[in-house]
Amino acid sequence: MSFAPTGSEIAPASGDVRISAEVARGTWVVIPVYNEARAVGAVIRGLREHFPNIVCVDDGSSDGTWDVLRAEAPHALRHLVNRGQGAALQTGTTYALRQGAERIAHFDADGQHRVEDLARMVSLVASGACDIALGDRFSGDTSGIPAGRRLLLRAAVLFHRVSSGIQLNDVHNGLRVLSRTAAERIELTADRMAHASEIVDLIARSGLRVSQVPVTIRYTEYSKAKGQNWTGGFRIIFHYLVGKVLR
Amino acid sequence: MTVFQIFLLSALSLGAIAVATLAARRAIGRAASAFILLVLGGGIAFAIKPDLTTAIAHRLGINRGTDLLLYILVLAVVYGFIVIYLKLRRVRRELTVLVREIAVREAVRNDRNSARSGGESTTREPASSGRHE
Repeated sequence: MSFAPTGSEIAPASGDVRISAEVARGTWVVIPVYNEARAVGAVIRGLREHFPNIVCVDDGSSDGTWDVLRAEAPHALRHLVNRGQGAALQTGTTYALRQGAERIAHFDADGQHRVEDLARMVSLVASGACDIALGDRFSGDTSGIPAGRRLLLRAAVLFHRVSSGIQLNDVHNGLRVLSRTAAERIELTADRMAHASEIVDLIARSGLRVSQVPVTIRYTEYSKAKGQNWTGGFRIIFHYLVGKVLR
Repeated sequence: MTVFQIFLLSALSLGAIAVATLAARRAIGRAASAFILLVLGGGIAFAIKPDLTTAIAHRLGINRGTDLLLYILVLAVVYGFIVIYLKLRRVRRELTVLVREIAVREAVRNDRNSARSGGESTTREPASSGRHE
């Protein structure tokens, strides 16, 4: 699992997955961060062993997150007022594209995603096999997913099959990798959590090639408490539908 | 004429005068001021002759004049909410764009790998805003 950020030409991320230092350099990992001072430092340290370009966007946190980011993140950006996860992702993406990113990765700040999953998705997009790789927690090992969460996410999938006509297994997974072209074409305007639904819609309309990559989500007490519940789900649907009607 | 009618008439007339003054100073648009004056004029007419509302209501198949006013009020309130909501949405979006631009301009780079940092672990400098590309 160890692999040098630069120097060695080919380095293993985990098992059979290898990405070159060049691919790692061209990949900019965008992490929206909101009140994650406890978790985000470890997430950044885990990532920077493999990816030198990490953009953390503090979405107006009030818990010392900004101090952690300033010390740990290769690129730390700050929203002066809280604008929501979708807005923070777009901010990080805008910044990374201006810095010349070849690929954009979305990664969660709470430690629920695994770097080796990201590395596999990055190599897939870098190989040109697809424009967008989406993490899919349901085609891998699903034993760790809490039952309530599973039902909620399944409901979200069903909702999208009806609303966008696109068949994706796991629409609200925050782990994504986009090629530069895809990232330029997909501009998020839904500031809050409805951005995940918005991405699905934009993908369906863009004609970009999508791959779904099996990933494992680490459900800890911490990340579970941070996730969405049913009320949140209905709020997302409301914002999403309003956004659809009012372009 | 009742006390309430006098109160209502003076309030509506003052409103009409205010709107007319603003329109004359071109502080509000012609269409908007015409609409507001029309509404205020209707109010004045109804205040002088309350039975007028009932007469109009009967024409529209509504029993009481107060019901007619209630329906108009509901429509006006719903319309107002929609207008305000749309405006709020636009303002929120503009705020996001602004906050984003500030965040991108004030980005803090923390390049431990870069040669420039030369031992110092934290460098604070605004990142390129893309104008050089």
